[in-house]
This record gives sequence, structure tokens and C-alpha cells, in this order.
Amino acid sequence: MYGFEAMTFNIHGGYLEAIVRGHRAGLLTAADYNNLCQCETLDDIKMHLSATEYGPYLQNEPSPLHTTTIVEKCTLKLVDEYKHMLCQATEPLSTFLEYITYGHMIDNVVLIVTGTLHERDVQELLEKCHPLGMFDSIATLAVAQNMRELYRLVLVDTPLAPYFSECITSEDLDDMNIEIMRNTLYKAYLEDFYKFCQKLGGATAEIMSDLLAFEADRRAVNITINSIGTELTRDDRRKLYSNFGLLYPYGHEELAVCEDIDQVVRAVMEKYPPYQSIFSKLSYGESQMLDKAFYEEEVKRLCLAFEQQFHYGVFFAYMRLREQEIRNLMWISECVAQNQKSRVHDSVVFIF
Amino acid sequence: MEVEQEKPSLENVQARQQEKQREGEVVIVEEEEEQQQQVEEGEENANVLQFMDSMDAYLTLIHSLSSTLRQGWLELASARHSMGASRVNTVLLDHKFHPAATTLLVTQDEGKVDSMKQHFTLCKWASSGNEKCSLGEAKSGQDKLHPQLRHRASSQLYEEKTSSEYKASHEVDDQVQKERSKSLSVFGTLVSPKLRAAQLSFETALETLVEIANTRSAVLCAFDKVNKKLGGSKG
Repeated sequence: MYGFEAMTFNIHGGYLEAIVRGHRAGLLTAADYNNLCQCETLDDIKMHLSATEYGPYLQNEPSPLHTTTIVEKCTLKLVDEYKHMLCQATEPLSTFLEYITYGHMIDNVVLIVTGTLHERDVQELLEKCHPLGMFDSIATLAVAQNMRELYRLVLVDTPLAPYFSECITSEDLDDMNIEIMRNTLYKAYLEDFYKFCQKLGGATAEIMSDLLAFEADRRAVNITINSIGTELTRDDRRKLYSNFGLLYPYGHEELAVCEDIDQVVRAVMEKYPPYQSIFSKLSYGESQMLDKAFYEEEVKRLCLAFEQQFHYGVFFAYMRLREQEIRNLMWISECVAQNQKSRVHDSVVFIF
Repeated sequence: MEVEQEKPSLENVQARQQEKQREGEVVIVEEEEEQQQQVEEGEENANVLQFMDSMDAYLTLIHSLSSTLRQGWLELASARHSMGASRVNTVLLDHKFHPAATTLLVTQDEGKVDSMKQHFTLCKWASSGNEKCSLGEAKSGQDKLHPQLRHRASSQLYEEKTSSEYKASHEVDDQVQKERSKSLSVFGTLVSPKLRAAQLSFETALETLVEIANTRSAVLCAFDKVNKKLGGSKG
């Protein structure tokens, strides 16, 4: 036990913790995934999902179904559950729940700005935004020409405002600047979320520190791999890594100079015992399975969060597990739609 | 009496000689006709073989295209799964006016009056000005340099030429990589290797499509020849 959470947590958080644990029981099991992997068409998937909690969301969808429709409706279910919990939550849980959605907010901002740069219609862009990341003035993003205007006109009144201090320049928005903006915002968000959880203290701080540190480390590895062979300099790459996590600071120094996925990234990660298990599953040249290995490790850690009571980590863990489930459904649907069922197990991560 | 007997024998001999000559001419004509028939049959067989060969190549290319496209679509789905639906999305495609990254050159075969055979050449990354046409043409360009390179009198010249060749090909590769990254930048500059793999698959599929077009042109041309011969032999 970390403190006296057992005495006071249930006053304000007991009802919602019970709700989220109930929602957790509704996550798809290995048996559900086995049935889904054997489907021949998207209508078969819809039929199997009708027996799950996704049933009411998919039942009115006409055939022929599309994979994006399945993902949209399943996401709608997650959004409804989140909104119900948010409207019932008091401080500091309500702020904690809002923090969970800032990542989607950043993705939506970048989507609108990039789409506007490519002369796309704003309405079309708004339809593709993630519902968890919506805010009132999001449509106004389309008028900004540079980051200073972006901040001044729109983002100053949003929760993302504090994260912009490192990005404000008068440079015009282009593809490289937008990418750097995305990663800089996300880095600032993760660090802020980490500090908030540390302030909460107790079991929440302990569990969330582990989960957020893993997120920061995974981002550092993905940024390194994705920037190999691009124009991003080593210094710029180093600036995008978060200032916490297991790899901070020495692992980051080594990752910043990596130029090859298999040899050097593996050599860096294998020095850290918690990540040795991830890389031991991959043989040489299987860097494409790295995503799945990271997702499996994340799911393991998220499931462990439910082993303890009286902390806010269960809310974060539930949201992330649902998002993983939706990713699984997306992948299964794509494999069925493309008649590539032999590749289904390449990316499906079982939660239970 | 003896003179009268000689005259018929001379006439007979002449008649026989003329007959033999006529027979010889007939034999020669028959032989010539037989040879011509053999040549025509040979040509027909060659045309039919050419048609069958080009048809086989066409079907093989169709099968190859199908598997390359399947691989490309799955890699794209995998990239979307890895990067997220908001990063790999049709709404991010660029609607601004920009020159085509790749162009197709269509030429007619010259020299044959009745030939309708078209030839297709793919010019990749044409927007950069450093046009990289189909691989065969690039390789033949390099081969032309080799006879000079084999001259042993100046080994330094040989080394300079190989290093300059290496630099030139390296520069072309770098330029091609930059053009590839530029095309992919609609999805962001830090994209997953899975998206790059999808791009390569679709690039290969495009090259295969052009090969299919050329092969189809050859199939139709061979079919025309076979058809003409069949029509001629029936008439």
C-alpha cells in the first residue's frame, strides 16, 4: 500500500472504478478473436460482433460494410463510455480523464493543419477527426498560416496551449515543420501528464509512471526508426525524445546516432533488461514485427494495472485496452476484406 | 538404208532430250514449290510460337501484378494499423496542383507500314527533371561505357571512370530516394517503414503494368500475323 487511498478513494472514485472494471469485463476474449479470425466476409464479422457489446452500434449498418465503418462504430462505443465517466467524475479524476484525450487532440490539430496545407475541404477533414480529440474552435485551425497564428487564433484557449511554448515560430507550415510540431507537442504532453500523475502521488503515481515511461520509450524507438534515411538531423531527433523514461538519458544519446534498424537499435535496446524480452522475440530482419512486440508488452502492463485498487491508472488502462481492441478489429477486418486471412495473426494482440 | 535408220534415232534422241529437259524443269519447279511451302509453313509455325510465347509472358505478368498489388494493399493496411487512421488517410492526399511524379511515353513502331504495334516506356520521377526511364534503358547506357573501361593502358583512367560512375549512380539513387520521400510526405515526414514498403510495392506494380501493356501489344501483333496467314491460306 502506498498511502491511505483505501480509506478515501471510494468517496469520489468508487462508483467510476466499479464502472470501468465492469467495462473491462466486456473486452473481447481469445475465443471471440478466434471466431472473428475465421470470418469470410465483413458481414460475418458484424454478425459475430452483434453478440458482444458492439452489437447495438453495428446492427443498423447496411451491407456492404466497409472496414472504416466497423472502426467508426466501435470507436463511438468507446467515446460514449468515456463521456459517461467524464460527466460523473470530480476533480482530480476529471482532469486525469481529460489528459487521456490530449493525444487525440494533437492528432486532430495536425490532421486539420496538414489537410488545409493540401487544400482539402475543412468539413471533410472534420469528419475524419477522432471524436475524443474534438474541441470547439477546431474548425478555425484552417485559417492559420504559421505556428504563431495557429497558437494566437485557436490553440491559446485549448488545453494544448502550454505545450506550444517550444513550437512557436513564424515559419510557414510545411510537411517537416508540421511533423516536428506534432512530435514536440506530444513530448510536452507526455511530460506534463507524467508530472500531473507524480503530483497525485500514491498508487496512481507509481502505476502511471511505469505506463507513461513505457510510452515515452516506445515513442523514442519509433521516432528513431522512422527518421532513418530522412532529412531529420541527429540534434532534431534528440530534441523529440521525452525527458523521462528508462532510456533517458543514455539510451537517447545512443538512439540519436542510430542509422540502421536491425543492428544498432537492437544493440541499444538490448542493454535494458525490461526490453530484452521484446527483442528476444524478434529474429534478425524481423523489424516489421517490432510494433506487435511493443503492443504485446503494453497490453501486459495495462492488464497488470487492474490488479490493484484505488488508483486512476485503471481508467487509462481501460481506454488504452479498448483502443488496442479497436486496432485488432481493424486489422482482422482488413485481412478478411482483402482475402488475406493467413496474415491475420501478424498484428492481432490478444488481451486475455 | 543405214542413213534412213540414223535419222529416226537422232530425232528420237532429241525428242528424248527435250522430254528429259521438260521433266527436269517440272522436278525443279516442284522442288521449288515444295521449298516455298516449307518456308511458309516454317513462318506460320514461328508466328504461332511467337503468339503463344507472348501470351504466356502476358499471363505470367498478370499473375505477378496481382500478387504485387495484394502485397501493397496489405502493407498499406499494416502501415495504417501502425501509424493510426488519422495519419494514413485519403483526406491527406494533396489537391494542390503539382507535376506528375511519373510519366508514360507511348511510341509507334516505325518502318513497318502495316504494323500497329505501340511501345510504352515508363519515366519515373520525371517531375524532378532527373528522368529515370525504364531499367533496361539505364542498363544499356551503362553497358556502352564498358568497352572504354576495359582499355588497360590507363588504369588511373579506369579507376577515375569507375569512381565517377559509382558517384553518378549513387547520386541518382539519392535523388530517387528523395523523390520517394517527397511523394510520401503527404502522410508526414516520419513515416513507418511499412508505408515505405507499400510505396515500393505499388512502384513495382506500375512497372509491371507497363510491361503488361508492351506484352499485350506484342500479343496483338503476333495474333494479327497468324490471322493474316490463316486468311491467306483459306483464300
